[in-house]
This record gives sequence, C-alpha cells and structure tokens, in this order.
Amino acid sequence: MSILLQLLINGLIAGAVYALVASGFSLIYSTCKFIHFAHGAVIAFSAYFLYFLFAILGLEFYISVLLSVVFASLLGYGLNFLVYKKLRDRKASDFILLISSLALLILLESLILMSFGAEVKTIGFIEVSKGIDIFGAIITPLQIVIIAVSVLLLFSLLLFMKKTRLGKAMRAVSDNKNVAEIIGISSEKIYAWSFIIGSALAGVAGILIGLEQNLEPTMGTSLIIKGFTVAIIGGIGSIPGAILGAFLLGLAENFGIWYLPSGYKDAIAFVILFLFLLLRPKGILGIKREGDKEQ
Amino acid sequence: MIEAYFIHLLILIGIYLILAISLQLSIGYTGLLNLGHMAFFCIGAYASALLALSGFPFVFCLIFAGIMAMIFGFILAIPTRKLKGDYLALTTMGFSFVIYAIALNWTELTRGPLGIPGIPKPSILGISFSSNLMFLVLTIVVALLSYLIISRIVRSKFGKVMEAVRDDELSARVLGKNSFKVKFLVLGISAFFAGVAGSLYAHYITYIDPSSFTLMQLIPILCIIIIGGMASMRGTLFATIILVLLPEPLRFIGFPSSMVGPMRQIIYALVLLLILLYKPKGIDGKVEM
Repeated sequence: MSILLQLLINGLIAGAVYALVASGFSLIYSTCKFIHFAHGAVIAFSAYFLYFLFAILGLEFYISVLLSVVFASLLGYGLNFLVYKKLRDRKASDFILLISSLALLILLESLILMSFGAEVKTIGFIEVSKGIDIFGAIITPLQIVIIAVSVLLLFSLLLFMKKTRLGKAMRAVSDNKNVAEIIGISSEKIYAWSFIIGSALAGVAGILIGLEQNLEPTMGTSLIIKGFTVAIIGGIGSIPGAILGAFLLGLAENFGIWYLPSGYKDAIAFVILFLFLLLRPKGILGIKREGDKEQ
Repeated sequence: MIEAYFIHLLILIGIYLILAISLQLSIGYTGLLNLGHMAFFCIGAYASALLALSGFPFVFCLIFAGIMAMIFGFILAIPTRKLKGDYLALTTMGFSFVIYAIALNWTELTRGPLGIPGIPKPSILGISFSSNLMFLVLTIVVALLSYLIISRIVRSKFGKVMEAVRDDELSARVLGKNSFKVKFLVLGISAFFAGVAGSLYAHYITYIDPSSFTLMQLIPILCIIIIGGMASMRGTLFATIILVLLPEPLRFIGFPSSMVGPMRQIIYALVLLLILLYKPKGIDGKVEM
C-alpha cells in the first residue's frame, strides 16, 4: 500500500512540474499557434541564472529567485521580438517557426554549455532534509512547496485567463485572430504578452526543478518533450487540458516505471503521445483546429 | 597529416550528403515534415554494426541496414499518414526519441550508453577498405549512387506526383493519385538511404553510442537542406560541402576541445536562424516551406 501511495505522491510532484512547463507552453501555443520548443531553453536558462546569482554571486536567495523569473520573462519576450515576430512579419509558415524554435533551443542550450560547462550543478539552497512520513510514503518539505506553488500559480493563471481584460483578449486572439483584430485587439501585443507570462511560468518551473534536482545543460530539451506531450494529451492550446494532461503523465510515468526499467520513463511519454496523436489528436479537452477540417 | 584530415572531411561530406538528400526527398519534394531522420540513421548504424560483429560481410550489412531502416520508415508511415504540418513534425520527432530511448535502454542488444566498439572496417570481395583513403572511395561510390538514384526518382513521373502531393494534396487526390501510397513509399525510401548512411558512419568511426543520434545531430542536416533550398539536389550538394567545412576553422583557432562542440552547435543554430530570417529559400530553393 505504501508503495502505491509513494508512486502516487511522486506522480503528483512530477505532474506539478510538468503542469507549469506545459501551461506556459500551451499559453504561447494557444495565441501564437506554433510550437515554441525554445520554451525548454528558457526553463534551463532561468535555473542556471538562479545558480549564477545565488551560488556564484552570492545574492540573497529570494532576490535571486525574483530576478530569475524576470529574466526568464524578458528572455521569452526577446525571443519573440527578435526572431518570431520577424518571421511572422514575412508570413513564414508554422513549420519555419517550428524549425526556428528548434534552432533557438539548441543555440541557448549550447550557450549554457559554453558558459557553465557540461558538469552537473546544484544550487544548494536547501540542505538535504528528512522527508515527512505519510502512511509510509516519504515527501520532502521542498516537494510540498513545489506542489503548492504549482497549484497556486495554475489556479491564478486560470483565473487570469477567465477574469482579466488581458486574459480575455488572449482567449479572443486564440479563438479567432481576425475577429479579435476587428474589435481592436492588437494580436502582436497579445503575442508579446503570451511570451512574457508563459516565460515567467517557465522561469518558476526552472527554479523549482533546479532546487529539486540538479542542473544540466540539456534539462530544457527533456522538459519540453514532456511539455508538448502533455500539451497534446490535454488538447494543444488548452490550458486546463495541459494541467490535466500533466498530472496524467506524471502519474502514468511513475506507475509505469514500477514495471519497466527507469530508463524507459521518457519512452512512456511517447507511447502515450503516439496513442493520442493516432486516436484522439485533439486531446482530452482540445477543440478542433482549422487545419483539421481538411482531413 | 593534412591529407588525412582532408580525407576525413570528404568522408563526412559523403555521409552527410546521403543523409541530407534523403531528408530532402521527404521534406523538400514531398512536403512531409519529417524530423525523425536521425532515428533511421540510428537504426541503420546499429543494424549494420551488430551484423558485422556477428560476422556478416559488409555489403550485406550495408544493404540490410537500409532495409531495416526502410521497414521502420513504413511502420512510421502507416499511423502518421493522416497527420499534417506540425503534428507530423512532432510525431516523427517523438519517434526518434523512442528509438533513442530504446538504443539507450535495451542494453542486452545495444550495450546502452557504453556503445558498441570495434566495428570492423569494411572489406568487399577480399579488398580491404580499412585505410581512410579506401574508405573515401567507398563513401564516394555509395554517395554518388544515392545521389543518382534520388535524382532519378525526383525527375521521374513518381517525382512529379510527390511534388503534387506537397503543393496540393487534395488536388492530387482528385486527379486519382493515391497520396497515402506516395507518402508511404517516400518515407520508406528516405529511411532506406538514412540507414545506408548510418551503416557507413558506423563502419567509419568503428564505434557507435546513442549520443550520436540525438536531436542535436539533426540540426546540421536540417541546416543543409534549408540552406541548399527545398527540392534542390544541386543546392543540397553545395550546402553539404559548405556546412561540413564551416565549423572546421574552430579547430585551428585553439579553443579548448570542450568548447569546440558547443561552438559548432551554436554556429549551426545561428546559420539556420539567419537563413530562415533572411533567405528562407536557401541557395537554390524551388519552393518555400
């Protein structure tokens, strides 16, 4: 019983992190309608930036965290402004945007590799603490914080999308860009905001992962793989879907490696991805996209 | 010394050329946004290495590597036949991650992260290709054959149908062309050549491990076909030569070797971004993606 409970807890922790990764990614996809792989690099950059400020420069921890989130946000905004906006201006296809985001992912990862080296880094703010015992399953205080922060942020994001002017404008652009522009919403402005908010979420995800695990230059790639798997499971572009998908994947992976060697953890994600793409490409909560009609 | 270095570069150009023209076949000519090309390269390399180590002759390994990759190409083509655009790109990319995960974890077969060392250098009918010069001759022959075959395919009637499917699938189908069959065959043929390139690579380096088949390694190939231009064989040839040589000066500037790898990646990624931003049709592109 305690093993099942432990797997459940591990699944929830993984799910909480994936949900942060995927909700930012999905937010950007829902308005901009292309796959922003470099989102993974933004996550990695924010974790490394925290490492740089806190472990190397020796700044106050909470100031470093704040600066890292701001930095991630600016990085996302910068990528949109310097690359994606220019590509959109000359009406590049989604595939070109996708390839350019792949190039950005590799570029940023290589930059991290060059400046920090390939060896694994630890932020070292939290000393290894004893876990709390819940009916025989172990959870550390940091893991509780991860789940709490994630749930809080996701809840605020949903509220933000539902209630605020900007959130509504984002949903409008996501539904139908042309109509949104007719009623005076600037889509470029909304794209920029999606990148700012989405990347800030990526920043938080990077920090939480950086505290819980170690930092590696390629951490972004493996996270974004999970991010888009989750986004597709949940219905790409749907934020509630992404959150649902994230917890589903987190649980599936952790229960899956009970039977399989742990190296197959990533493969589990892909088997699920394949099944969804084949059987239900619009995901659990997804809406049909314009392109789907042609089929 | 300097000769050995040039021979090495020429062999690399040959292997990259096979990879690039076969990817050009699916992305450039048929509009199949296939990002899983490294998986076929990986399957070919492992198939060939494992067969050669069990004592099979090289020619058999080379052809079997291609066929093995082709089978996987067909397997991938069936479920993805209805997917389009970025969905197809993601699924094929996902496929390459699965193959990578298998190469890394099926340790009884692939030795996982330890890789497979001591892959024999090829020998055909008693002629040994163990010297790099002889290997270069072999690579040139295989690359040239691949180039001619693929050029032939794209100029044939079937090639025209491929381009029709790329430009307007619906119209192609209205004209009675079976677009699924076209995509199925193209993915298979494209995978076949990637597998052949994988076999050459395995026998040249004589050591393979899963890290040679990651997303990072796909970037230079994508770079080549985009710089060469969509649906251009000549452009792809030029681009292969340019891009293999481009990061080479790094070797001589005297950076520490730990820096050279990431710097190569940065160069490829930057070149790719710049070309997408400023010259999306590449050197000799017929169509824009």
